[in-house]
Amino acid sequence: MTPFPDHPEIHLLSEGAALASDCGTLVVADVHLGKSATFRARGLAVPEGDMLRDFARLLTLVVKYKARRLVIAGDFFHAPAGITSELEDALGKFILDLAVPLVLVAGNHDRKLKCLPLEMRAAPSMMLAGGVRVIHDPAEAIADQLHLAGHWHPVVRICDGIQRPMRMPSFVFRSQTLVLPAFGSFTGGTIIAGERGDRVFVALRDSIIELPRSFIR
Amino acid sequence: MTPRAATSETLGLLRPFFDHKGWQPFEFQEATWQAFLDGKSGLLHAPTGVGKTLAVYLGPLSVTLESGKGCRVLWLTPLRALATDTLRALREPLEMLGAGLTAEARTGDTPAALRARLRKSLPHTFVTTPESLSLMLTHADTREKFSNIAAIIVDEWHELLGTKRGIQTELCLARLRAWLPSVPIWGLSATLGNLTEARRTLLGSAFPGSVEVSAALAKEIIIETIIPNEIERFPWAGHLGTRLAPQVVQHLEKADTTLLFTNTRSQTEIWYQELLSLRPDWAGKIAMHHGSLDRTERDIAENGLRDGSLKCVVATSSLDLGVDFSPVDQIIQVGSPKGIARLLQRAGRSGHQPGKPSRILCVPSNALELVEFAAAREAARVRAIETRDPLRKPLDVLVQHLVTCAIGEPFLPDEMKREILSAHAYSDLTNAEWQWALGFISNGGKALAAYPRYQKAHITDGRYTVDDKRLILQHRLSIGTISSDPAVSIRFANGRVLGSVEESFIAGIKTGGHLIFAGRHLTLVRFHQRVATVKPAVKNSKGRIAIWGGARMPLSTELTHAISQIIAEYSQDPNNSSAYPEMLAVAPILELQLRWSCLPSDEALLIEFSRSKEGEHLFLFPFAGRLVHEGLGAMVAYRISQENQQTVQASQNDYGFSLTARRGLALDEAKLRRYLSPENLLEDLIACMNTGELARRNFREIARVSGLILQRPPGRRDVSQREIQSSASLLYEVLQRYDPENELLRQSEREILEKQLEFTRLYRVTQDLTRRPFHLVETEHLTPMAFPLWADRLQSTLMATDAATRLGEMLHELHHAAGLDKPGHLPDPALEVDSPTSKKRQYSLKPARRRHGF
Repeated sequence: MTPFPDHPEIHLLSEGAALASDCGTLVVADVHLGKSATFRARGLAVPEGDMLRDFARLLTLVVKYKARRLVIAGDFFHAPAGITSELEDALGKFILDLAVPLVLVAGNHDRKLKCLPLEMRAAPSMMLAGGVRVIHDPAEAIADQLHLAGHWHPVVRICDGIQRPMRMPSFVFRSQTLVLPAFGSFTGGTIIAGERGDRVFVALRDSIIELPRSFIR
Repeated sequence: MTPRAATSETLGLLRPFFDHKGWQPFEFQEATWQAFLDGKSGLLHAPTGVGKTLAVYLGPLSVTLESGKGCRVLWLTPLRALATDTLRALREPLEMLGAGLTAEARTGDTPAALRARLRKSLPHTFVTTPESLSLMLTHADTREKFSNIAAIIVDEWHELLGTKRGIQTELCLARLRAWLPSVPIWGLSATLGNLTEARRTLLGSAFPGSVEVSAALAKEIIIETIIPNEIERFPWAGHLGTRLAPQVVQHLEKADTTLLFTNTRSQTEIWYQELLSLRPDWAGKIAMHHGSLDRTERDIAENGLRDGSLKCVVATSSLDLGVDFSPVDQIIQVGSPKGIARLLQRAGRSGHQPGKPSRILCVPSNALELVEFAAAREAARVRAIETRDPLRKPLDVLVQHLVTCAIGEPFLPDEMKREILSAHAYSDLTNAEWQWALGFISNGGKALAAYPRYQKAHITDGRYTVDDKRLILQHRLSIGTISSDPAVSIRFANGRVLGSVEESFIAGIKTGGHLIFAGRHLTLVRFHQRVATVKPAVKNSKGRIAIWGGARMPLSTELTHAISQIIAEYSQDPNNSSAYPEMLAVAPILELQLRWSCLPSDEALLIEFSRSKEGEHLFLFPFAGRLVHEGLGAMVAYRISQENQQTVQASQNDYGFSLTARRGLALDEAKLRRYLSPENLLEDLIACMNTGELARRNFREIARVSGLILQRPPGRRDVSQREIQSSASLLYEVLQRYDPENELLRQSEREILEKQLEFTRLYRVTQDLTRRPFHLVETEHLTPMAFPLWADRLQSTLMATDAATRLGEMLHELHHAAGLDKPGHLPDPALEVDSPTSKKRQYSLKPARRRHGF
């Protein structure tokens, strides 16, 4: 769906990504590659598997929406301990398969790495053709400009008063910044306390819907 | 010298203590001393307040008065709060008989200075909890420090039995047995229906040759009930009213200090408010106590009970055991006793001194509870007490213990396996399970490929060891099996914490709204990140009383059986005037039930059928407790709907369950037997309850205990710790996807079936039902037994539907209510999509259907 009348090129995708259709740019946030490896390095028995799955999900998205560029809105990597040779190999293969440019915006997790694997570079922010800026932390937004950001891992909590509240990953739009849900399969979420004027979008099956105000607390 | 003479000489050492107190040793005390001096292990079963502490302690004390250094007696207690009282009780004889010998306790509450001192050297008598003992096992010098121990005593074993803390205790004891094979282990237990099993579980491989000592002096227990004046106008079941509060107040006036027990935290809040509204002058003289209150709030209540300054404390099971409150001279139980042992335990909180009777006054909140009280009294008289079933080999506790041991000293797997198998819970551990556990703590084991670069314990010279400092610290911080729920803490703006509530409750209150918590009327100021800031409300504001979720306790098998028997007795001779007063009071209702249908029992299965505007109803009364009925109801509903495509709704209480459908229900014995059959029981339950979803929710505790989720160290926030934090449900999904053979997943499923549905009991009940005759009755009116089930058609909260379906339904209802025919947002047609699958299947919100008829 296209939530912004001023920016009809921005589409929200039920896969948890955003697409700027004018420049064919696919934006995802918070992939956290190497997260389970970080756990294992610290003596927690968490199995591997999500890294390859997330690469595959990204490739599918790029093909499906015919994207001409993939932008990561920060936290592509999780932690230094997670950068293993297996990760570097898989990443190299992913970049080859991707066949479109991959642009990284630096996130707080990425910055903990002394250098990114495969000599990749990360930009502090990235400007898209339609005047939309991609950043990582919503706090870095500049006034009067639409931003796409990550960092929050937003999750919305919906109570129906009957069963346990549901938690759903969501897009949150607050003061000119659209915060994307975390893309990585092994990422948690933070329940976002609703503020006046927030717009919240969730994936319902194959489409994105905007939550009625009464559902948001 | 004969052994006998040696014994009497040893026991002679104890004389001065008894002379000083002016006491004579009881027979069971002497029997316990004798058994100990014979080198035997065992279990002493005795009610509270008859001198069981001295019975198990003085034997070991008598042989350690003069010889040996270091720690001689190790005393395990399940409750931190109990440690102080225990210490006081142990110090009295110790200080009188053994000059210069000391007793100390180490629990999670112990101040750092004392803790440091205890790290250096241990006292003669050392009191600790299972968690603290586990923690000590991670220190290499613990074996040396324990080398002089002459006796190990486990207090309140019945409290630990059947819990993961009990398993942790079993494993620690297995370790100690391996170090000190000849040291006797003694347990103390209240009355249980399975004392031999309790002893076997405690002692593991040391069970053969052990003894059981009973304190024959049965404590007199008096169970009385307040009988409502007009039984016909009293609710049959269900309503948890405070109707009898005025009578309760009269009883409170007569006694000095009363402990009033309720069954839930919300009931505690409700009764506290009710008592205050009847006697406003008691403000400050009554207090409340439940598990969600902050420690300081609870201390106020406990201290008030100890020094007798409070008139009454309203409490939940948080005050069931432990601390001795001598001034308490009256116990009141509000609502169903749920179990016989539980009622006795509560009764035992008064008359703590030997020889004094324990007395409990029962307050029914509905008519059927009158029968429950009478049944409980009868069962208590014939000592038909509940059993506590031990847990079977929970692997999360095992892997935690293995890491604990590997930190303490490197172990050889074969030796360790023998040690683990010597604990009763793991006596039937299979080799596959053992290998899995070893893999889990070392390198991923058989699923090695899924765990690249994982290592916790490494193997040197065939021994498993953990020596990474960070891992050791991490593990020490997370020892234990109690997982605290993520709750919302309630506090004043000045930081004073009142306690905690569940998020779903506070989420329902708007800022500025009122709530009642900890007996106070409060206004919500702010709710942010798991902290709800409140301020005192203006006087007499109407607020919502805090409610907590959590499974309601079912009636025990023994109590339902006792109820069934007492009803059967009544039905044989309804005019027997010597019957219990409760039965006489409830007679008009039973008579009505008998006239319209028949009385239910656990001999035959009563099934009633009736019609109403809603359709057809079946009421089945297996008498097996709420959880079993919930499982049975869901399963039968599922089986019927599989057969005739009808939607069947189920509801349940402690006596039975009901099924409601538009049509298609019938009193057809052959069919009903098929629906209730134990065949494919597990498969059908899994299919109808969405166990996968439930197991995912249950995974938190297992992930915590097995070390997949780290406890956040209190206070200090370690940034690197944040890198390795994740939620249990996320971990569950990851394991399911990439290591589906992981034993922890299966454990989670097993546990949830047991916890939510008492699966073992449910299975036994279905087995038993195949043999029970069915009484089929078609009734014109809803009978007294059926009515509560009909009125209480609670939506089962167990059925877990997926979020998308639920959200879809909610949106649908919203549009329906708003009279909108068009949904708000449809999939974006402008978007060019290349995928063939997503074209047709896009979800759209259907226009609101018009509902007909009902």
